[in-house]
Amino acid sequence: MAAKTPEQITEDLLRPLGNASGKYWTALAFFAGVVVSALCAFAWQVYAGIGVAGIRRPVFWGFYITNFVFWIGLSHAGTLISAILRLANATWRRPVTRCAEVITVFALSIGATFPIIHLGRPWLAFWLFPYPSERGIWPNIRSPLLWDFFAINTYLLGSVTFLVLPMIPDMALIRDRATGLRKKIYGIVALGWRGTPKQWHRLESAMQIMAVAVIPVAVSVHSIVSWDFAMAPVPAWHSTIFAPYFVCGAIFSGIAALIIAMALLRKFLHLEEYLLRMHFENLGKLLLVMSLLWFYFVFAERLTVWYGNDPSEMTVFWVTQTGSFSPLFWLMVVCNFVIPFPILAIKKLRTIAGCVIASIGVVIGMWLERYLIIVPSLSHKYLPYSFGSYRPTWVEITITCGTFAAMALLYMLFAKTVPIISIWELKSGPQTQSDHATALQPVPHAEGAD
Amino acid sequence: MASVNSIYGLFPGPDSADRGVRALRAAGVAQEKILVMASEPFEEYSFTQAEHKTLMPWLAVAGGIAGGTCGYLLARLTQVAYPIAVGNMPRVSPFPTAIVTYELTMFGAVITTVITLIITARLLRKRPAPYDEAVSHGKILIGVVDPAENSRDAVESSLRQAGAEQIKSTS
Amino acid sequence: MPQQATHQWGMVIDLDRCTGCEACVVACHAENNISTVGEDQAARGRAKHWIRVERYFEGEFPDVKTKFMPVLCQQCDAAPCEPVCPTFASYHTIEGLNGQVYNRCIGTRYCANACPYNVRFFNWYNPQWDKPLNLQLNPDVSLREVGVMEKCTFCVQRIKAGEIQAEAEKRAVKDGEIQPACVQSCPTKAMVFGDLSDPDSEVSRLARGNRGTKLLGELGTMPKVTYLQKDSWHGSENA
Repeated sequence: MAAKTPEQITEDLLRPLGNASGKYWTALAFFAGVVVSALCAFAWQVYAGIGVAGIRRPVFWGFYITNFVFWIGLSHAGTLISAILRLANATWRRPVTRCAEVITVFALSIGATFPIIHLGRPWLAFWLFPYPSERGIWPNIRSPLLWDFFAINTYLLGSVTFLVLPMIPDMALIRDRATGLRKKIYGIVALGWRGTPKQWHRLESAMQIMAVAVIPVAVSVHSIVSWDFAMAPVPAWHSTIFAPYFVCGAIFSGIAALIIAMALLRKFLHLEEYLLRMHFENLGKLLLVMSLLWFYFVFAERLTVWYGNDPSEMTVFWVTQTGSFSPLFWLMVVCNFVIPFPILAIKKLRTIAGCVIASIGVVIGMWLERYLIIVPSLSHKYLPYSFGSYRPTWVEITITCGTFAAMALLYMLFAKTVPIISIWELKSGPQTQSDHATALQPVPHAEGAD
Repeated sequence: MASVNSIYGLFPGPDSADRGVRALRAAGVAQEKILVMASEPFEEYSFTQAEHKTLMPWLAVAGGIAGGTCGYLLARLTQVAYPIAVGNMPRVSPFPTAIVTYELTMFGAVITTVITLIITARLLRKRPAPYDEAVSHGKILIGVVDPAENSRDAVESSLRQAGAEQIKSTS
Repeated sequence: MPQQATHQWGMVIDLDRCTGCEACVVACHAENNISTVGEDQAARGRAKHWIRVERYFEGEFPDVKTKFMPVLCQQCDAAPCEPVCPTFASYHTIEGLNGQVYNRCIGTRYCANACPYNVRFFNWYNPQWDKPLNLQLNPDVSLREVGVMEKCTFCVQRIKAGEIQAEAEKRAVKDGEIQPACVQSCPTKAMVFGDLSDPDSEVSRLARGNRGTKLLGELGTMPKVTYLQKDSWHGSENA
């Protein structure tokens, strides 16, 4: 394959915009349908009462909080790839950053709806906002749910900024090539970007600051989400390991989601020359590291519980290890470790397809992990007379499916309106080499008499 | 696109653009009047090195401090103003106060960075600015804003000698 | 306006007297407007019994011993349900009760998860009373709507009524004058209610006795209900 000029790169990466095949519309309609049915399920829940969900005493949190933690966790993809790799000057990140940042913004938005969905009186959710109310009361900042409120909002602001700022030069690119209404809309989003050195320097400075700022925010967000559990005296919740355990799990599921998203983009948007096997391999190696780290945390936690021999904690321990939750527990271990480990560790198996298989396993495994943190502990608290089991209803299942469909829907819409690979970042980095692609070789800027 | 007085050349690549800027400087054009626009940062080249200094990181720190102060005040004052006893905890609980302070610190830093960027990069400007859509097609724009009338020809020949493919002027 | 705490309400339950008759459960439902949820919902774990009688069996047939333990909100002084409520719906009153403010509750159910005793109950639907049971509702107790958490209040409406009556008569509240519905209905007088800050009250004397234990006291919740039993339960975590 011939090396590509910058102009060709721009053409390639702008080609998916605005062109939609019949398959695209069909898939979009399907996902939209699932999202609409999820919205209807939620409307039914608000109308009839939250009793239509499967939650009960003593398992007062079920699918909704599982989804909340899962989606917030998934949103750690963008932060790791964009911010940490940017700070580490890893140039292979350039085609990957925007895919990752988009996952973050959408996953976070989806996750942030669940604190409202799971409320008994969701129309009063605004009481979490600190304002001088006529009821003469402020929210209780001792509650971890309030920390969630501040942390998630800060992270949302940070990740939207992280996504939108580097989009501006690409929006200008599209503005200049578009006509009519499209030109106007992209012109507004491009904010008058002209490409002067001053603007480029300021943008770079802003991105450096954002990269430094968003990493501690991301770590704090999932630590705070974990403290929703750790601050309650529930057996197997009240553990000091929860904050790093959850952050590790979040990054783990985030990388897996990114690999899946990249593979789909590569296939459907024909980006084989830009999303190379090398990218998947590098992410696959990171996924392997996170898989080992995840296993380490689970092992350390369970070992400590086992040695502690606290009767209530051991009840939860056995019920997940050998009891009624054990099929899900061992499925989780298989999905998170047993399958990904050989695939990602053996170079021959670490192909794009292999990475995707491992990632799908991880996404399933991490969803199960959230479920297994919440439900077994709540089902078996201190007084055996009050033990109880949980089964989700169609409302919870529909809403859960709706979140996955919403993610797909939003991603598909984004990929058709904004170039999913950051064009200016790709062109401006030293071009990456790999054993497969000849496409992105150092491109001589098309000069005449140079 | 602009109603600003300028004359500029469109260059095919960064090396010739570099030559163009040096030619303009040699012809006596002041640095502040030289226009440069490109679709990539071209950080390794000297023609993009103007206006590098920025206070943005310090402003972000200041914004963070402001945010943190707001967070601390929110946490402390609300707990003191409407004291409600919960769980045998003190009236102003240190850990939650610290968490809220931290989150609003980061919030302040991010917001300040965004606002600083928009202001210093002159995004959202109302006045029209010189621009050419060829920049989006890979050309680099090097020119002079508000050139003296008698120097227009000199500027044009400097740019052409440096390798400009096209010379345009606006007024 | 800060008030001086005049009482610290507490309860003593004598497990050696409890027969498991559950009169307390019924009385509580009647006094506090607690609706029944129907067979289907009860099977799904949605029943609301602010006080429940837990039954534990010891030994093998025919040497089976049954233990009954009425469990209600322990009004913990270090209640884990209080700090976690984002809207201060669960808070500590100056008389030592764990107050549940229905109007503030938005239904996050965090408090119910945090409660180690599982004594918090949620309104999964709007409560219903079939006619003519709606005529039996107690006008002193507010009804709770869907999405609101509820639990035992030590019959705070009776406490308030007793205190107001005593103040009107310009005297102190007499020991044993205020009785929650469960205490009042117990046929074996297994439950005693009173002011723990008064060292001479019956509840204080019984709580100080050598038969007294706290349920899950090792968790640091500082519960205000003391259980009296002569022998500790063999082989169980409970006391």
